[in-house]
Amino acid sequence: MKMLAFTLAFAVAVLGSSGDALAHKMKLFATAEGAVVSGYVYFSPGGRAQDAQIAATAADGATVFSGRTDAQGGFRFEVQRRADYRIAADGGDGHEAHFTITAAELPQSLPAEPAPTPTTTAAPPSSPPPTAAVAPAPPLPDLAALVEQSVARQIRPLREQLDSYQETLRWHDVLGGLGYIIGLGGLAYGFASRANGRPRRRLAASEKEAAR
Amino acid sequence: MAHIPDGVLSLPVLAVGAAVAVAGCAYGLRRLDAERIPQVAVLSAVFFVASLVHFPVGPSSVHLILNGLVGVALGWAAFPAILIALLLQAVMFGFGGLVVLGVNVMNMAVPAVICGLAFDIVRQRGGERWAVPAAGIAGVLGVLLTALSVALVLALSGREFLPAAKLVLVAHLPVMIIEGFFTAAAIGLVIRVKPDVLDRTPAFSIEEPAR
Repeated sequence: MKMLAFTLAFAVAVLGSSGDALAHKMKLFATAEGAVVSGYVYFSPGGRAQDAQIAATAADGATVFSGRTDAQGGFRFEVQRRADYRIAADGGDGHEAHFTITAAELPQSLPAEPAPTPTTTAAPPSSPPPTAAVAPAPPLPDLAALVEQSVARQIRPLREQLDSYQETLRWHDVLGGLGYIIGLGGLAYGFASRANGRPRRRLAASEKEAAR
Repeated sequence: MAHIPDGVLSLPVLAVGAAVAVAGCAYGLRRLDAERIPQVAVLSAVFFVASLVHFPVGPSSVHLILNGLVGVALGWAAFPAILIALLLQAVMFGFGGLVVLGVNVMNMAVPAVICGLAFDIVRQRGGERWAVPAAGIAGVLGVLLTALSVALVLALSGREFLPAAKLVLVAHLPVMIIEGFFTAAAIGLVIRVKPDVLDRTPAFSIEEPAR
């Protein structure tokens, strides 16, 4: 009982001292503003991951970017065509994270695919590629690109918040975990004492028979 | 670091990890006396909570492991305690993957058991005087062996051993120091208050006089 009280006090001290979010996991966040994809790698929430290996691959497996994160854990690169990109980060010590930039986030002015393969034509089903490729009237795409860029810039903090909120660790999870451990311990204790009790009962029955 | 996510390790490593975890848990449970189950549950809870204490070190971020403490307090029963705690961490917080659960258990429970057995030997030979320093060393050793084991597992899956080992070891130096002091303090308290908690007599040797 003393140790249980000690554990609970330890848990309270730990959680009370360091705020709400305590998960330990590497995460990658990226967003596209125009044709520039930028993002950063972070520990949820233990700070940014510096010098992590970044590799971005298109849906067809071609590597479009590889490099390392800077002192703020950030990276940026420009894409040439409109496709799904999978960005993977590797901390080198077993931490890995990945993020997918979908073709829908990239501006329509980019060419979808010079030599279309079935995977990339399947990727953007919402926009018919031939009309998008034929239609670039000079003044309109500029305005559309501007609007797209400013909207992307404005919703970026929101998306960052959503992304990190997903991983915040909540009190009820911690308490639920402790509850599971106590419950499993109780279950094991019950089974163990039943298993110990059975041979004794059998012994008692055989003793009775022997007595008769 | 200590919680390796899914998709990093190769298949043979995963299989070996799962086999070691299953064997260790089976042996730990066989030696476990029913009277000690609450103690195992409490230390499992301590381990479960300890991983939430994390701090940034250099380019990475680390957290307490406390497998040395679990090993010293539980001996072979550290296997089931760590398995349960890691399973719940994986399911609830996404710490480490479910497929690599066996490897993660191996990385943390094998050092724990080594620490526990070494602590027992020191305590039997040297007496209570050496128990507290031995517990401190066990706290350091648990983290050190876990870090080396993680680096080794990564190396066996096709990474370079030395860079990974360096990264993991350097990042865990502060953790080792903290855990050394914490384990020494916790075991010192237990020895003063209730020393028989640390007497691990296997279940069968207790049962024998009753028969």
